Amino acid sequence: MSADFTSTTAPHSQAPGTEAQAMPGGNAIVFDNVSMTFPDGTEGLKDVDLAIAPGEFVSIVGPSGCGKSTLLKVASGLVTHTGGKVWVDRDQLGYTFQDATLLPWRKVQDNVELLMELRGFPPAERARIAREKIDLVGLTGFENHYPQRLSGGMKMRVSLARSLALNPAVFMFDEPFGALDEITRERLNDEVIDLYQREQFTGIFVTHSIPEAVYMSSKVVVMSARPGRIQEVFDVPFAYPRRPEMRYQADFSELCGEVSLSLRRAIEG
Amino acid sequence: MPDTLAQNAAPANAARGTARKANIEAHSAVPIPTPPGLAHKLLTSLVPPILAGILVILLYAMVRSSLPPHRQFLMPSAQGLWDLAFAVPGFVPELLSRSVTTMAIAVTGLALSISFGCLMGIVMFRFLFLEKAIFPYLVVLQSVPVLAIVPLIQSALGFGFMPKVLIVALFTFFAVPTTLLLGLKSVDKNILNLFKLQGATWRTTLIKACLPSAGPTLFAGFSISGSLAVIAAITSELFFLSGEGGLGQLLMNSKIDFKYEQMYAALIAASVLSIAVYLFFKWLGNRLFSHWHEASEKRQ
Repeated sequence: MSADFTSTTAPHSQAPGTEAQAMPGGNAIVFDNVSMTFPDGTEGLKDVDLAIAPGEFVSIVGPSGCGKSTLLKVASGLVTHTGGKVWVDRDQLGYTFQDATLLPWRKVQDNVELLMELRGFPPAERARIAREKIDLVGLTGFENHYPQRLSGGMKMRVSLARSLALNPAVFMFDEPFGALDEITRERLNDEVIDLYQREQFTGIFVTHSIPEAVYMSSKVVVMSARPGRIQEVFDVPFAYPRRPEMRYQADFSELCGEVSLSLRRAIEG
Repeated sequence: MPDTLAQNAAPANAARGTARKANIEAHSAVPIPTPPGLAHKLLTSLVPPILAGILVILLYAMVRSSLPPHRQFLMPSAQGLWDLAFAVPGFVPELLSRSVTTMAIAVTGLALSISFGCLMGIVMFRFLFLEKAIFPYLVVLQSVPVLAIVPLIQSALGFGFMPKVLIVALFTFFAVPTTLLLGLKSVDKNILNLFKLQGATWRTTLIKACLPSAGPTLFAGFSISGSLAVIAAITSELFFLSGEGGLGQLLMNSKIDFKYEQMYAALIAASVLSIAVYLFFKWLGNRLFSHWHEASEKRQ
């Protein structure tokens, strides 16, 4: 696995691009004083400092429009920030969007193979890994179905399998389950935690559900209203594997309450 | 029964301070509907068009019978159509060979506009400045009355096969680049992001994401162009009467020779060809897209 540390600074001070650098403090992702100002002048992010250790699962909650998704887009390289530095290994990046973003003209198997295809994996290996990951998300038997015929939860599982196929070191989730019903959502929370423990990636999970954030993560980051900055970081003390009963325990509710109050302060400024 | 219920509900409404009288009715269930059988499906899908067809024929007969006898040649009877056109020895082979000639013009012109149109659509999609440069002139081209420039085309290209093909291409071109560009631009932005995250080249993104996604829209454009192509080919022939021509020439000849039955036969052949081209693209589009595209599926 070749390390590809990306370091980009503000335009004009240095040409944007990648340069091999040591990761500060042995972290998986580091945001150092990162700002993002859009061409129309709105500030999406301001002075964001955040370090995520390898193997952590960090959820980001914040008022809508606070720049949670922008933070992920900056980290993944989909947009380039306008100030500060970001260190991240983008070589093996998993990314799920707000919807499953499957190619409707491809069967489940071919959708899961897509990213490997773009990376130039040989067909036989591609097919083998895809079958493996389809099995991992519990969709064996649906390989030849078109996405149109699948439920919302199943589509999201295909999307997860597609990212897992690249064996991601870092997995970014951009509000992936917001459009799903609560039962499906909680089941997928458990499945993602399972995958997280099995596949050993570093996770960043953007959501606006506080229980979801607390249930899944080892750390919850609360962001303030636009321009987005880090308001508060909570350590989640509960051990993995997390079990659904946890949702009804007093200390779980208490932590959710603390995060909720912090979020309220973030909205009020 | 409803009366007692209304009385029971009254105190609650009174407590809320509203004078509204509750209007509770018992709603009965209906039996589970039985799925419609084959006979019912045939009845609902075949009977309306057949009835409409009969109505049109009746209307035709009515208008025809109201014409003074010396003008009835304008609307030949079925008997006349058979006796003086289809049953005339050598007429059906002539009709067929003329249909082939017209189809050759239509298909060549269509092939020309589809290939150039797709190329232009992709180029406009790739370079925004080319879209800005080309698109207004596409609209201008579409607004030029093609028939008005036929003399110009004749002067430039003569009276052979190519000028007619060019006329068909001019008629059918517009829908191809415009629908393709529309389709290419409506690709899901996150699908593009997905490709971007893997460092996919523009070419790969075009082939694996944009073109498949634009397919159904493009085929809607093909259907429009396809159904115009035969009309355009026949229209072009009206201006080129020398040599062995197609259905358009037959239309003109039958007027000159006062054989209106044959003119109607040519018109029937023309619409059969037009419908055939349209159905071909519809069938191909369904075959290619119905397994994933909802609109094409519904057309089945």
